[in-house]
Amino acid sequence: MKTKTLSSKKSDSLFSLLLDLPAFLLLAGFIVVPIIDSVVKSFQTFGIKNIITKKPGVWNDFANYLYLFKTDDFTGATLHTFSFVLGVVLVQFLLAILLALILNSNIKGARFMRSVMMTPWVVPTVISALIWMWLFQPQYGLLKYLVSVVTFGKVSEFAILNNPSTALLGVGVAALWKQIPLMTLLLLAGLQNVPQDISEAAMIDGAGKLRRFFSIILPYLSPVIKVSVSMSIIENFKQFPLFWTMTGGGPNNATTTLAVLSYREAFVSMNLGAGAAVTTLWMLMMIVVIFGYNKLFRVQEF
Amino acid sequence: MKTTMKSDSKLFSFFKYAALVGILLFLLFPLYWVLITAFKTNMEAYRYPPTFFPRVPVLDSFISLFRENNQFFVYYKNNIIVSSLVALLCCVIAIFSGYSLARFKNQWNKWFFALLLASQMFPVISRMISLYSIMGKLGIINTLGGLSLALLAAQAPFCIILMSSFFAGIPLEIEEAAYVDGAGRWRILFSIVTPLVKSGLVAVGIYAFLMTWDDYLHAATLIQADMKRTLSVGIALRYLGELSYDWSLVNTISIVGTIPVVLLFFFFQKYMIKGLVAGAVKG
Repeated sequence: MKTKTLSSKKSDSLFSLLLDLPAFLLLAGFIVVPIIDSVVKSFQTFGIKNIITKKPGVWNDFANYLYLFKTDDFTGATLHTFSFVLGVVLVQFLLAILLALILNSNIKGARFMRSVMMTPWVVPTVISALIWMWLFQPQYGLLKYLVSVVTFGKVSEFAILNNPSTALLGVGVAALWKQIPLMTLLLLAGLQNVPQDISEAAMIDGAGKLRRFFSIILPYLSPVIKVSVSMSIIENFKQFPLFWTMTGGGPNNATTTLAVLSYREAFVSMNLGAGAAVTTLWMLMMIVVIFGYNKLFRVQEF
Repeated sequence: MKTTMKSDSKLFSFFKYAALVGILLFLLFPLYWVLITAFKTNMEAYRYPPTFFPRVPVLDSFISLFRENNQFFVYYKNNIIVSSLVALLCCVIAIFSGYSLARFKNQWNKWFFALLLASQMFPVISRMISLYSIMGKLGIINTLGGLSLALLAAQAPFCIILMSSFFAGIPLEIEEAAYVDGAGRWRILFSIVTPLVKSGLVAVGIYAFLMTWDDYLHAATLIQADMKRTLSVGIALRYLGELSYDWSLVNTISIVGTIPVVLLFFFFQKYMIKGLVAGAVKG
């Protein structure tokens, strides 16, 4: 009897290994090895020549990293990335929780609105970039017209993407448009798990709307908030197609984020080593941010 | 007391509906704007102030897309091929590993799960820098097959986690009963358990399709030949390169490029919404 359970356990783990094998090989080949390889390349002179001649890169005494810090580009890109992530995630969370609370409050047509509002999430990223470029278009765009109507014709020129001080905001709006639906959907699912009777009991005890939100709904919702906000942080940290399509990093590098900088170094200047140096530092920052975020959230829960 | 409460709640519901309308306008009005621009003539699209309804709805830009700018449909076809292939393979991989993660709680699977979570975090560009040369050496760069494999690896982690949350909901007794009846492990997995998680499988397949349809970076770096380009890169390179954009055409492209995924999403909405919530919240 004993031997039988033992062998079944052994065959259990053998079977599970076998099932995991395809996924493991795939992830090893296309994610783990490439990431390690890109970190290695960040310490090498590796350009288009190496690709054509198939010669390996050569160790270059941190030249890629020194090169990055020779100009302000890297610092600027870091700054733009962080302000983009912070701004988009914060506004996104506020609007999404507002919309989720409203849709959860027994209004008519909530189910219908929930499904219709998901449409922007389905629209491909490059196409959402096109949609917003058209709305922001400097000569015939809708936004220009709306701004001039609201300001009674005082502001007649409004080109959000062509102005270095507003371009990041413009891309942020497109990101919000695409991402608010998913976060709302997740928060709404979380809200539906908040037990009704507790909330009702608190209402009978005289707790106001705000009080009920902060002491009952929010604690129940916090696991969902944690996951959806961290998903949003990661997504916006990695955002590339919106920037590349809408501004290409311009004007005057105002929207050059780490994603744009690394792509430009690696695939436009074909200096893959320098691009890898950007992505390596970028990954480190992301790990620190996610780690810090998880810590912060754990502290706040108690 | 009572009257203040009443006016209070009236004010509250005013703000509630104002916020609802505001957010929904932000999310939905741009779609309306794209739709009407596509049906305007170029003359009307370039009118300022803009018209909120096309004076004479025309199909000019749709016709020009089919007649003159039909390279678009090459990208379209490639996108359909790649997305379907990735969705299909993703389902297979998600059945295998999702089942394994849900059923066998061993040390190896703990590490495997951690790997799945971590791999979603890394920037795509860092992988591309390396894959560009690795796949070049292997001779699978600039092929739709190679592109699909790279995309499959990117989508698989979330799909596996999603699938495992569905497998975890199937009671073990069902399997045990089948085992007693003499069914083997593979038969139990494929003909007994998998049919029970069909809805999860649909969610995984659609999700993988949508995410692959959206891809830009993989195709931008791994594909060089115009005939093999997929939708996002094709649009960005061909229709945005010129000095002045043909905005009616661009808006038409936006619509035609979005229709398949919107249809797919709304057709399978029930599964998708359940799946997204399960995958994100439980994973």
